Amino acid sequence: METTLNQRPVSLQIRGLTRRFGGLTAVDRFDVDVNEGEIVSLVGPNGAGKTTVFNLISGVLRPTGGSIMLQGQELVGRPAHRITHFGVARTFQNIRVFPQLTVRENVLLGTHHWTRSGVLGSVTFWPGTIRAERAAQAEVENAIALFRERLEPRLEDPAFALSYANRRRTEIARALAARPKLLLLDEPAAGMNPYERIEMAGLIRSMRDRGLTIFLIEHHMPLVMEISDRVIVMDHGVKIAEGLPKEVRTNPRVVEAYLGRRAASA
Amino acid sequence: MSALPAPGSQESAPPPRRFWESGPASWNRTLTSRRVMIPFFLVALAVPLVLQWVEDNSSWIGAQYWTLILATCAMYACLAVALNLVVGYAGLLNLGFIAFFGIGSYAYALVASDQIHQRYPLWAALLVVIAVTLAFALLVGVPALRLRGDYLAIVTLGFGLIMRDLILDLDRPPVLAGHQFGPDTLNITGGTNGIHQVQPFSLPTSLPLLGPVPHYRMYYWIFVGFLALCIYCMLRWRNTRTGRAWVAIRDDELAARAMGVNTFKYRLLAFSLSAVMAGIVGMINAAQIFNAFPSPNFDVQTTVMVFIMVILGGLGSIPGAILGAIAFTVPPFLLQQFVFYKYLVISLVLIAVMIYRPEGLLGTVSIRPRQTMGGTLELITAEAAIEASELPPVTDAEPSDLEEATGAIVEDPEWKQP
Repeated sequence: METTLNQRPVSLQIRGLTRRFGGLTAVDRFDVDVNEGEIVSLVGPNGAGKTTVFNLISGVLRPTGGSIMLQGQELVGRPAHRITHFGVARTFQNIRVFPQLTVRENVLLGTHHWTRSGVLGSVTFWPGTIRAERAAQAEVENAIALFRERLEPRLEDPAFALSYANRRRTEIARALAARPKLLLLDEPAAGMNPYERIEMAGLIRSMRDRGLTIFLIEHHMPLVMEISDRVIVMDHGVKIAEGLPKEVRTNPRVVEAYLGRRAASA
Repeated sequence: MSALPAPGSQESAPPPRRFWESGPASWNRTLTSRRVMIPFFLVALAVPLVLQWVEDNSSWIGAQYWTLILATCAMYACLAVALNLVVGYAGLLNLGFIAFFGIGSYAYALVASDQIHQRYPLWAALLVVIAVTLAFALLVGVPALRLRGDYLAIVTLGFGLIMRDLILDLDRPPVLAGHQFGPDTLNITGGTNGIHQVQPFSLPTSLPLLGPVPHYRMYYWIFVGFLALCIYCMLRWRNTRTGRAWVAIRDDELAARAMGVNTFKYRLLAFSLSAVMAGIVGMINAAQIFNAFPSPNFDVQTTVMVFIMVILGGLGSIPGAILGAIAFTVPPFLLQQFVFYKYLVISLVLIAVMIYRPEGLLGTVSIRPRQTMGGTLELITAEAAIEASELPPVTDAEPSDLEEATGAIVEDPEWKQP
């Protein structure tokens, strides 16, 4: 397995990833390496193709070309529900919790792919089914532990009754319950107030400390600069910069992408 | 987590104490709890005995008549619960649902009458019914469940109509491109006459403690028993992995897929299970009336009737389905002299429900046209309806991009610009 300078094995390796919508190339020969236990941020102006990269990794969209390897296994060409089995879980930019399910059931959905129980098992109280349900319930407690004060009182409420921030937390808890190796967070702090944003930063760090690899899209630059191990900047589907947060901040191409050519030369 | 001020204090309103104030989700939870369901079914089983006792001790006659009406009611409740599985849980608009009821009753009639000279024992006939309905469900489901919303509704409606014509025409050998298949005397379904002299289930005619049990009472108990079984299965499924996956697909298919749910498999599972349930109800019905007829079994009207029961009661709500079945089978018998106004009254009631409670009496989901996909009708939650109405219409999109559109535009607002 490939290793980088800091000797961490590569978790996610993307090579030459391309996606076209008709005449528009949304993602153009995009390369990235995310090492295990790292927090890598993907930033860029609106329309840069960041969410498309996430959709391609999680199998929602099919790439036009290129390869996506997770711990040495090819993900391209597999259906979205199979990709979850390889250890990828994601959240969505416009939160997608299941509104009619309770918070607990939402998080239980995360355990769907690694539990086994069928229609006959559940009506006959088959021991395997009972074990699977117990394991799933235990995993909910485990996933919800990070959000204890926030989500615990709301566990039995339907998700449509939650506040915006709690829906985000539910979505993240659901992704955690899937026991992923790689977690894709699409704008986890969008629409949150400063308190909640600080809380979210601590949360992302503690998830990394649990051994997760985190790849996130975020617009709030102070948050990105604070928590990221590395930052990747995209514009018009192309990677324009990559490096430590402080390196990227002063990169002239990044300033140009955000503020225009004149600002960059000034 | 550090001790932060709880900003969501307005969220934690105290739960309403009175039952009727607590909202449909809580009503359903209470009404499907064991302490309501078990007494309900015990009372339902005792009703014909009470009717008989009243008849024996007064001048009133009508125990048999009312038991038959209640048996019809229980049958429709079974159908409504089975339809709830496919429409209410999994969110698939299956307008050909009643065809499976017909297929079940014809499958039983064929192996329990002189039509093709087969008289199978009950368990074997049950296996045949399950196998035949399952085969038809897979035949339709595998290609059709790749469609969504009203496209699926049109295909299943077509299936229902084709099955009706097939049953009507299979009293003679099929002729295809000038070639006749089978001998001239071939008669499978009996055409418009249906299949007669179907044998009832071979069940004891008297029970210990209860004495002799007449046919009509036995079949009432069978229907109520099957209803209890269906409801038990539905509630167990709803509280385990399978049912959660169904509701998740209904609520947000893309998110369900991203969580590892094989959406096609689960849609097919819901479709086939509901078909098998309907098939077994058809089988009990054929044994109860000794006949299998094309008319009520395959009529679009019957499909609409069951849909109305489910929608009135509330999609996805099991007490609602029972309520809907009672509301649409008992009053027509009570109000015989107004029978000409039956459909007028039903339509007025439905219009009122759609205006004042579009999600049904006990439901939480409603059917609304979705603006974004060119007015495609699909099951949609109130939340999703608001979200969808905020998105721009994509009716001017290239047809070849429509598949893309669901993933790229709805999912990814960054792509609105080009």
